[in-house]
Amino acid sequence: MQLPVRIITPLLALSLLAAACGDDSSSDADSSTGTAESITLYSGRSPELIDPLLDAFTEATGIAVNARYGDSAELALLIQTEGDGSPADVFISQSPGALGLLAGEDRLEPLDQSLVDLVPDGFAASDGMWVGLTGRVRVLVYNADLVDPADLPASVLDLTDPAYAGRVGVAPTNGSFQDFVTAMRNELGDPATLEWLEAMADNGSPNYPKNSAIVEAVGRGEVEMGLVNHYYNLRALEADPSLPSVNHFLPAGDLGSLVIVTGGAVLDSSEAPVTGQELLTWLLSEEAQTTFAAETQEYPLLPGIDAPSGLPGLTGFAADTIDYDLLGDGLTGTVELIRESGIEQ
Amino acid sequence: MVLAIGVFFVGPFAYVIWRNIDLGTDVWSVLWDRDTLQPLLQSLRLGVAVSLSTVVIGTGLAWLTIRTDLPARRMFRLLSPLPLVFPSFVGATALLAGFASGGLVEELISPLGIDTLPDMRGFRGAWLVLTFFTYPYVYLPVAARMASLPPSLEESARMLGRGPWAVFRSVVLPQTSSAIWAGGLLVFLYTISDFGAVTLLGYDTLTEQIYADKLFDQARAMGMALVLGGVALTVVMAERSLDRRRGQVEVLRSREPLTVSLGRWRWPCLIGVTAFLGNALIGPVAILGFWAWRGLTADVETIGLGTDVGSLWGPMLHTAQAGLITAVVAIAVVLPVAWMIARYNSRVAGAANSMVVAGFALPGVVTALSLVFWVIDAPVIGRWYQTLPLLIIAYVLHFGAQATRAAHVAVAAVPRRLNDAAATLGAHQPRRFLSVELPLMTPGLLAGAGLVMLSTMKELPATLLLAPIGFDTLSTQIWHAGDSGALAQGALASLVLVVLSAVLTWVVVIRRIESY
Repeated sequence: MQLPVRIITPLLALSLLAAACGDDSSSDADSSTGTAESITLYSGRSPELIDPLLDAFTEATGIAVNARYGDSAELALLIQTEGDGSPADVFISQSPGALGLLAGEDRLEPLDQSLVDLVPDGFAASDGMWVGLTGRVRVLVYNADLVDPADLPASVLDLTDPAYAGRVGVAPTNGSFQDFVTAMRNELGDPATLEWLEAMADNGSPNYPKNSAIVEAVGRGEVEMGLVNHYYNLRALEADPSLPSVNHFLPAGDLGSLVIVTGGAVLDSSEAPVTGQELLTWLLSEEAQTTFAAETQEYPLLPGIDAPSGLPGLTGFAADTIDYDLLGDGLTGTVELIRESGIEQ
Repeated sequence: MVLAIGVFFVGPFAYVIWRNIDLGTDVWSVLWDRDTLQPLLQSLRLGVAVSLSTVVIGTGLAWLTIRTDLPARRMFRLLSPLPLVFPSFVGATALLAGFASGGLVEELISPLGIDTLPDMRGFRGAWLVLTFFTYPYVYLPVAARMASLPPSLEESARMLGRGPWAVFRSVVLPQTSSAIWAGGLLVFLYTISDFGAVTLLGYDTLTEQIYADKLFDQARAMGMALVLGGVALTVVMAERSLDRRRGQVEVLRSREPLTVSLGRWRWPCLIGVTAFLGNALIGPVAILGFWAWRGLTADVETIGLGTDVGSLWGPMLHTAQAGLITAVVAIAVVLPVAWMIARYNSRVAGAANSMVVAGFALPGVVTALSLVFWVIDAPVIGRWYQTLPLLIIAYVLHFGAQATRAAHVAVAAVPRRLNDAAATLGAHQPRRFLSVELPLMTPGLLAGAGLVMLSTMKELPATLLLAPIGFDTLSTQIWHAGDSGALAQGALASLVLVVLSAVLTWVVVIRRIESY
């Protein structure tokens, strides 16, 4: 076993070195001012989509950002398990649900009103615990080779019609779908929501694990339509412009065109909450919001910044009628309702 | 020491039990709920089916590549363990894309006049994907065992006029059965804990339910995790009691193991092996290669298409580092347990062993969170939180089972009389261990180390939550790319992962088992 020893000894030495160096973060916080020269971010958004913005923030402010990337729900579980010992200062989530869970457990620090006021009403938690950063609109993606646009529904509620039996893909275990169902409960009440879910189940709606899987399936003609967020198809088309998948925006005001925000919050265990808010404020700056719109094709939430090119404007979509707080707190009920309906199949 | 190791591996179970108490989960009502029982039965059905098919394929492949005159067998020895390194979601994506209309398979079979493609969603797809990507759990231990079988028994059987098949069935198979069982058990445990493949292929298992409920219905998710752990523990203990009743085969290094001449079956076997590996390895690699090539040759720099080969250098080093260190540490940690069981039939060691093995069936995110729970506020070790040593510990916690079953088989194969002889000659225990037992155990231990290494290289949930900030691995790169729709970059990272695992498997495992 000579060779492994020769390889492994330096590797072990290296790792111990790495361990020794990994210890000095987050000790530079000044507790009297709540600021620090470096902060730790847990991000449910991929590095490809946010790294350039963090670099620009560091360049502008001199504050270093140590970012851990992962799945929003898993990072929320991590923060929950870490408790007061969490190294994280800021949490950015793909869905309001994960933020709502932490808010419900009193793990978030209330944000300054001036930060919350940057976005229009309805795009931040009403108690100021978290603020929206970008918006995604729910759409019905369809395969233009298989579906006549005249057959598309005017409302998401129409999809329970037998004419759509077996034709609409859903992702019942996905966070965005759950947020959508929570909004429906808020709008129509639990009995009507359960009825809609059961009717979708009776219609034999094929299941997929997540939005991107639905978009891929629609693209290759495996299923004709699917309920997803708007930008997945835009990215799929970027990769392969010949795909027949098209986004159908349901009319403004319909539940089917709900705006789901990605949001950010500062943790109550952070030693540098002021610096954390500085990062969130920067992500809502004109520069950052313009970049979001151009690079991620999500809707900027700062008023005055244009929607991504080729997309309808955000005004009038259902977001302002939805109480986002319920999207967080009520999610246990939503998960139970979805399971009860039998739509997971 | 064995007790300490056992306690270490109890961590995840203790965490799950504590969470159940804390959340006030009524485990019985969770268990007897139709919404739990149904997925549980689906998990068991898939677990049994995949175990059976991998046992047949893994054993057959090991025999063909190690013990026969199959053409190009050295190349097949290198290729055979590799499918293990595919993250199961990558395999499932490739399969779905391959069988989709307009996909690779349709293009291949449409000239033959077949125009209806089999539906790959549900049980069939999950069974196929998991069989393709988990049979190395059987292949590696069985190949290691076959490489070290003494030829004398087989020679006798053949001199008595038995044909190759009869020799295989009556001599080779009984001598390798403990390695086969060990591999089949690992496949079963992996299958019931898999999330990536079943969720993409729309097959509803208990683990899929745990993931769906993990955030917003934690009481139910933790209740189901406990059920899963209980099932795993039961299966592990049942297998152990069976194992105890089986006679142990002792291995003596004497001469080269016997090579069987396949005769006129030589070419049909070659075609079979090629066809199988074509599906399990070459097919996915071809699809990934196509995606990566499309990205590398595209002239537009968009999120969906851009590739950056240079950015994979760091993740590649991290992946190799994590895989190698974890393999060595895992073997070192579980060897004492395996040794105590095989040598002294120790009860404590038996219990410790069951814990180590059953822990493999808990979903990775549960194991990772348990470590966070135990470590974050602990004195001294809490300072290691989210550093490399602790990440390695998480890997060992999750993958220890793979090393422990292989180590157990390896230790049990060492003839006790050699040890006794060495003792009579005055050698002390450490010296006996190093000069007599360790060399005999080497192939089995290497097989275990290889499994741990490949599993670690593709590990995702613990890496995302516990790696030091900036410690990207190829697996996290693949996941991020998939998350942001960067198909080409994800495919490229997957290809690098396959090549890297081929190199490491050759250098660390296969070459040594061969030259043994």
